[in-house]
Amino acid sequence: MDPLARLRAVRERLAPQMEATAQAIAERVITLVVDAVDLNAVLARVDLNAVLRRVNVEEEIDRIQINEVLARVDLNALLAQVDLNAVLRQVDLEEPIDRVDLNGLLDRVDVNQIVQQVDVNEMIAKVDLDAVLDRVDMNAIAQRIDVEALVEHTDLGAVIARSSSGIASDMFDAVRTRTVGIDEAIARWVARLRRRPYTGPPGPPAGLRAVARS
Amino acid sequence: MTARGGEAIPVKPPAAARDSFQGHYAGFASRFAAFVADLVVLTGVFMLVLAAINFAASILTGKSIDFNRSDTWVVIGYLAWGFVYFAHFWGLNGRTAGGALFGVQVLTDDGGDVSGRRAIGRTLAFPLSFLILGLGFLGILLGDQRRALHDVLAGTVVVYSWDARAARLRFLSRYSSPAPRLPGPPQPPG
Repeated sequence: MDPLARLRAVRERLAPQMEATAQAIAERVITLVVDAVDLNAVLARVDLNAVLRRVNVEEEIDRIQINEVLARVDLNALLAQVDLNAVLRQVDLEEPIDRVDLNGLLDRVDVNQIVQQVDVNEMIAKVDLDAVLDRVDMNAIAQRIDVEALVEHTDLGAVIARSSSGIASDMFDAVRTRTVGIDEAIARWVARLRRRPYTGPPGPPAGLRAVARS
Repeated sequence: MTARGGEAIPVKPPAAARDSFQGHYAGFASRFAAFVADLVVLTGVFMLVLAAINFAASILTGKSIDFNRSDTWVVIGYLAWGFVYFAHFWGLNGRTAGGALFGVQVLTDDGGDVSGRRAIGRTLAFPLSFLILGLGFLGILLGDQRRALHDVLAGTVVVYSWDARAARLRFLSRYSSPAPRLPGPPQPPG
């Protein structure tokens, strides 16, 4: 009889129990570690802007199977641990947004799947929207909107038309627009005679500028 | 462009109306057109008053008064009425009837409201721009602030008081294609 046969038999008998024990210990340790870590404190110590600057965001995003990852994450549990306001205060939102091809990213994301996982109301309740909006340059966003196309091709135009309709206002607009056009033509003609560039009507007076700024 | 509700489409607003000129110095055409409109209004009102006086006199005395354009009192009355008309409206809110129609307003040269005293000064200085062969108006064409001689003397400017861009948006909203709509529920026959 092989002298090692008994040892092998013992090892084969004990191996599953030892693996199960090791697995249980590992799970317990991971749980304890995760519970012990204060995510907010960790995030507070990280210079997120510096991290974001060093990351090639596009390349990393391309490598990730986002939908698979998102399907495995309990977003609600994760978000419950994070102080979103503190995170948002640290991040320079404009810089990473400028670097990301948002349209390409959104094409790859199954938004419906994400939305179904997230308790949107709870998340929004935690965000100080006023603080976020204070940091967003609304004028810059508004300037990127083609207002004329919006009015021309949507029912917003009908709303404006209903709220400001009137034969008199139509007539005033037509008369004034016509005379302003003549003003501009005359001004351009005079500027050409004087060999000066014309960039539009001068003004407004200093007092009006101050009122407009305030 | 298709008009909403089958309305007739007016002329397209010029590209100048893409910007709002509100508060910018008004140009020659707008100011001249406003002045002509004011002349029409004040002359019309003056003639109505003369007609009313004539009517009242014919009732009270049985004789009609023959007002003549060369009559000194008619000329003096017309000039006095013109003075009151311009001074009153410029002092009130910087806008005469013609100014309101063409969207121009008189302000002080620093953008403030015109006081009654300054309005009277401007009205008195106004004829000077005519009396030097119209050269007083050259400043509107050539000056950086588009000021005529009477503006310089009275310390005033004339600005656009309406929003050209808002007018253009109103135009587009009224005469542009509506958004495509989803088909509605079927209508019952009859």
